[in-house]
Amino acid sequence: MDYAFDFALVVETFPILMRGFVVTLELWLPSLAIGLAGGLVLALARLSHSRVLRGGSLVYIELFRDTPVLIQLIWFYYAFPILIGVQLSPFTAALLALALNTSAYGAEIFRGGIQSIARGQWEGAKALGMRHADVLRRIVLPQVFKLMLPAFTNRAVEVAKMSSLASVLSVHELMYQGRLLSSTYYRPFEILTTVAVVYFVLIYPATFLSMTLERRMAGKG
Amino acid sequence: MNYQWDFSPVLTRWPLLLDGLFNTVKIAAIAIVFGVLVGLVLALLRLSPRRSLRLPAAVFVEFYRNTPPIVHFFWFFYALPVVLNISLDPLVAAVLALSTQSGAFYAEVFRGGIRSIERGQWEGAKALGMSHTQLMRRIVVPQAATRMVAPFVERSFELIKTTALASTLAYGELLYQAMMVNSETFRPLETYTAVALLYLVLLVSCSALARAAEARLTAYR
Repeated sequence: MDYAFDFALVVETFPILMRGFVVTLELWLPSLAIGLAGGLVLALARLSHSRVLRGGSLVYIELFRDTPVLIQLIWFYYAFPILIGVQLSPFTAALLALALNTSAYGAEIFRGGIQSIARGQWEGAKALGMRHADVLRRIVLPQVFKLMLPAFTNRAVEVAKMSSLASVLSVHELMYQGRLLSSTYYRPFEILTTVAVVYFVLIYPATFLSMTLERRMAGKG
Repeated sequence: MNYQWDFSPVLTRWPLLLDGLFNTVKIAAIAIVFGVLVGLVLALLRLSPRRSLRLPAAVFVEFYRNTPPIVHFFWFFYALPVVLNISLDPLVAAVLALSTQSGAFYAEVFRGGIRSIERGQWEGAKALGMSHTQLMRRIVVPQAATRMVAPFVERSFELIKTTALASTLAYGELLYQAMMVNSETFRPLETYTAVALLYLVLLVSCSALARAAEARLTAYR
């Protein structure tokens, strides 16, 4: 192991990686937000009285959960545009795939949360004359939101990791810049190790937060 | 939406896809075996009373759990060979990436299972005069094993999905073969839809199998 780590190269290329890091954030946060919001809608469909809504949302959720994310990204970039007749930019396709994927997982988090509220509370609220939407908004969601926080944070971690797959569609995010730089300078060890460290710095706080929340809840419960 | 679907050019190339499916199963099976070995070693290190063993294992686990898998694939395929001055086959690099990464997750599954056995049982068994090995073999491991089944299955399921990333190293698993079929047929919609469905069938049957195995393994409780 007489390999000399070229530290100067890391310093020199760091600004380019940071440009990628910004795109990673632009991909990560919106797809997480859209995905979780969509997840609530899907969860409500999953728990609705209509068989069509229940079946449809079940198929949707399983399609996204039981196939690799990478093929979902590829499908939305190469296949979906043929279906709708509009070419999507790599970024839009990646954002779409990540948000839809997140909504499928988010739906399961919301469903678990909503189902954890005892029936009696629904009945009580209804007896007080509240409408279904009001019960959900004022009684159920405020209680379960806290319970779901660790799961949401966990999703945030997964979405951050998944966003790196957008490099396959040539979205200029962190991993893409890393791949480009490592082939330009032929210094993959320095560059890819730096990329891994940058991802760690981005993701670890979320993992730590999720663990802390879980521990705090376990202590209370 | 007046696109004429035509699956026949894709379907006539089924031997290519079957090859890909076979390679996906192969790489997943190899990676699960090595991942379990890595996971066992890491779990034992993390449970050791010696800090000098616990700490490096913890750092390894946390680093892997908080960085994207695609970085590991590229790191093993492009970066490690440069440092060691060797060249790695895509299959070997992909197996290294998958098994170290899933090993980090399996380690947490094993550790969580063992730690879930209450202190009182350890103390009780010791009070009865059992040696550490006896107590592990007769009391802790049998109980912990049943608790590990579900998270173990879940991790393995993730691993199977992650094998799709081996396509980025040009290893001929299912997604890579799909790309080959696509470049011959110029039918991305049919190709990627068909392959997504193949993944769905593979993963749904794996989870059905796993559920059946889980039911048998945890039956005696």
